[in-house]
Amino acid sequence: MDMIYLDHAAATPVDKRVLGAMEPYFTEEFFNPSSPYLPAKKVASDYESAKAVIAHAIGAKASDLVITAGATEANNLAFTAISIVDGSCRRLLPRSALAGDPLRRHHPPTILYLETEHDSVRRVAEALGGEAIKVLPNGVIDLKDLKAKITDETEMISVALVNNELGTIQPMAEIAEIIREVKLDRMKRGIKTQLLLHSDASQALNLLEINVARMGIDLMTLNSAKIYGPKGVGALYVSHDVRLRPLTVGGGQENGLRSGTENVTGVIGFAKAVELAKEHLNGNRKKYASFRKILLDELQGYELVNKKHVLDNFVVLCYNGIDAERLIFLLEEKGVYVATGAACAASKGVRSHVLRAIGLTESQIAGSLRISLGETNTEEQMHEVAKIINEVVSAERGRINE
Amino acid sequence: MNKTVFVGMSGGVDSSVAALLLKEQGYKVVGVYMKNWSRDLPGMKCPWAEDLADAKRVAVKLGIDFYVWDFEKEYHDKVVGYMLSEFRKGNTPNPDIMCNQEIKFKLFYEKAVEAGADFIATGHYARTGFDSTFSSAGLENSGTSYAGPPAEPPATRANLSTKGRPLDVASIRNASVSSTRLLQRSGSSGIYVPEFSNQDMLQKKQNSKPLLLRSVDENKDQTYFLYRISEEALSKTIFPIGGMMKPEVKKLAQEKGLHNAYKKESMGVCFVGEVGMKDFLKEYIEIEPGEIREIESEKVLGYHEGAVFYTIGQRHGLYISSDLPYYVVKKDVARNIIYVSKNLNHHELWKKEIKLKDIFIRNQIKNEQVLVRLRHRAPLIPAKFDGETLYFENEVKRPASGQSAVIYDGEVCLGGGIII
Repeated sequence: MDMIYLDHAAATPVDKRVLGAMEPYFTEEFFNPSSPYLPAKKVASDYESAKAVIAHAIGAKASDLVITAGATEANNLAFTAISIVDGSCRRLLPRSALAGDPLRRHHPPTILYLETEHDSVRRVAEALGGEAIKVLPNGVIDLKDLKAKITDETEMISVALVNNELGTIQPMAEIAEIIREVKLDRMKRGIKTQLLLHSDASQALNLLEINVARMGIDLMTLNSAKIYGPKGVGALYVSHDVRLRPLTVGGGQENGLRSGTENVTGVIGFAKAVELAKEHLNGNRKKYASFRKILLDELQGYELVNKKHVLDNFVVLCYNGIDAERLIFLLEEKGVYVATGAACAASKGVRSHVLRAIGLTESQIAGSLRISLGETNTEEQMHEVAKIINEVVSAERGRINE
Repeated sequence: MNKTVFVGMSGGVDSSVAALLLKEQGYKVVGVYMKNWSRDLPGMKCPWAEDLADAKRVAVKLGIDFYVWDFEKEYHDKVVGYMLSEFRKGNTPNPDIMCNQEIKFKLFYEKAVEAGADFIATGHYARTGFDSTFSSAGLENSGTSYAGPPAEPPATRANLSTKGRPLDVASIRNASVSSTRLLQRSGSSGIYVPEFSNQDMLQKKQNSKPLLLRSVDENKDQTYFLYRISEEALSKTIFPIGGMMKPEVKKLAQEKGLHNAYKKESMGVCFVGEVGMKDFLKEYIEIEPGEIREIESEKVLGYHEGAVFYTIGQRHGLYISSDLPYYVVKKDVARNIIYVSKNLNHHELWKKEIKLKDIFIRNQIKNEQVLVRLRHRAPLIPAKFDGETLYFENEVKRPASGQSAVIYDGEVCLGGGIII
């Protein structure tokens, strides 16, 4: 039985060309980039070139990137940019320290984050006393709510470019425009507090044209694992005027912001994945739009959850009255792999905060299935899987009404 | 209309097969995962979410309804709370026994009945039976019946209710073997699958008293953990796999394509293994260093992290260098001193008499002579019981105080008590 994999938002297979590019660096060019001899210097130079490829994809330079062990670490690192003033020190206070800290109780929130953010943003922002910005029922940021919540103390706003459960694309340019106005106003009034825009672009790198300068983004999280590169590699783009505090201290790699011997193979693979993604950017978008149409035409008895402003490879279906988790197990038996929401939340049995934020009822949330299309899919599969899902859903409805 | 059974599904192979058998025998089956504990401990990830997914996957495969019932608060109050308070007193409690008494055969049972269950079921290795005359007449003359398959030949049944006691295990084994052959001949399945329809009969016999019986698989028998469950719950409980051997359960799971046929069994306490207990306790009980003394000489040999963390008979975890291993033979919790000895035959470790408290009698104990199990899976030892104290013919290795001694008459679990 051939599998039909419909969970590319959770993981993607490493592209064979990516694997090929990585291979020599495991066994032959294994040197530590910091070592003094020539073969090691060659590795160091390859590493920098690879970083440049990744950086160019978002309109940045190699030196703007901090390579991390994935998007979660990059998101965590991004929040070290905020300063909780404690004497003259800029420091990020751990949650435990903050719990009983009078600063936190009396300090207005310095962080705003979109309520539909991934846990690796949401949890950090919450721990630092951040405040959530509402989304509209279509999943797009409520700009009015954003404006209302920005105060003179706000230092950082975090909004994912593409939501990981719905595929909703956020209007970064409009958000940046609001931020520009606030900054201008602060300058006029002599307020020096920084106001940074962070965006987690984990899901977007292979499907959207990204330019950090044009989008007005100060910090951007990138992820190799979602674009057919290796897992455990990510990057944080950091604009020149942002000061971060390292979470990992040691040999001073990555401009002192992320110590540890460079993950050469990972970065080489990441760069190759970026290169391939950029080559196929437009073709992919057309392909997924047509796949999505086939699914929406041929599937039956669903409500479409993510209607507009979404990447076409995300199809979120609601089968009200059905437990979508049961559908996952039924589909699994037929070699079809889908998800209900973010894999990390689902594995803990937690109901999606994203679906709740867009106003779905508990029963609608329980009945929601997330399909995320990708490179492994074909048009044929779309017809086939529509048939399989229809069968499984109708069998399950039959069982319930028995 | 088909009777409704709510079956507790842990995600393991035993309760999965239990659900499967009930479904195959025509019951309306509802699967329930009891969420009793979800907290990760240092160095140990709590597998509840994986277990839940395993349970649900099986339920979906069987096409049965499935629910998650959250008993975390109650489990914490009733089981963990009890456990900690006992440990603090220097005892070594058995949380599984408490979990069955308070959660599985109380809360789960009550909630299931409320939700419309005619019966509850679990994947325990145990059986039920009934005895309509048990309360008035002695066992010898009783009409004891067992949860054996109705397909059993009359001769076997007669063997089982044999008047001579204790019933010998071999005859029970033989009974299961003969029914295996019967079913094999009927060609329904290569695996011996017991029927358990006697529960319906039990219901009809209003005055009958439920019996808790040891499982056919002597090696897996779990009645040690069940001796304190209420009579009411037991009268409405089905143990679908109690008549099967473990390898048969696994084989059946495999044949029916249940994915968890090879899942590693969870051992000991629901949420901490044997090794993890000390680490678990350290989360709740402050470390308080104290002396380790040799019991014969009173000499201080070393220091420990708190007497409550140690159990009588324990050998590991003592920071003493010595050619021969030392064993904990006595604890003085008040003075926080642990007494150890190299002598495995030390008189503190071996007793001829064991006194019990919190005694729970399931069925009237007619004879002074009983069989006793001092630990799960330990052999049954003959003893005399006067309602308070167990008298053994030979010395037995004394379990730690707080553990249970469970009393049997043949294959009938009569009850038990907590070792003082």
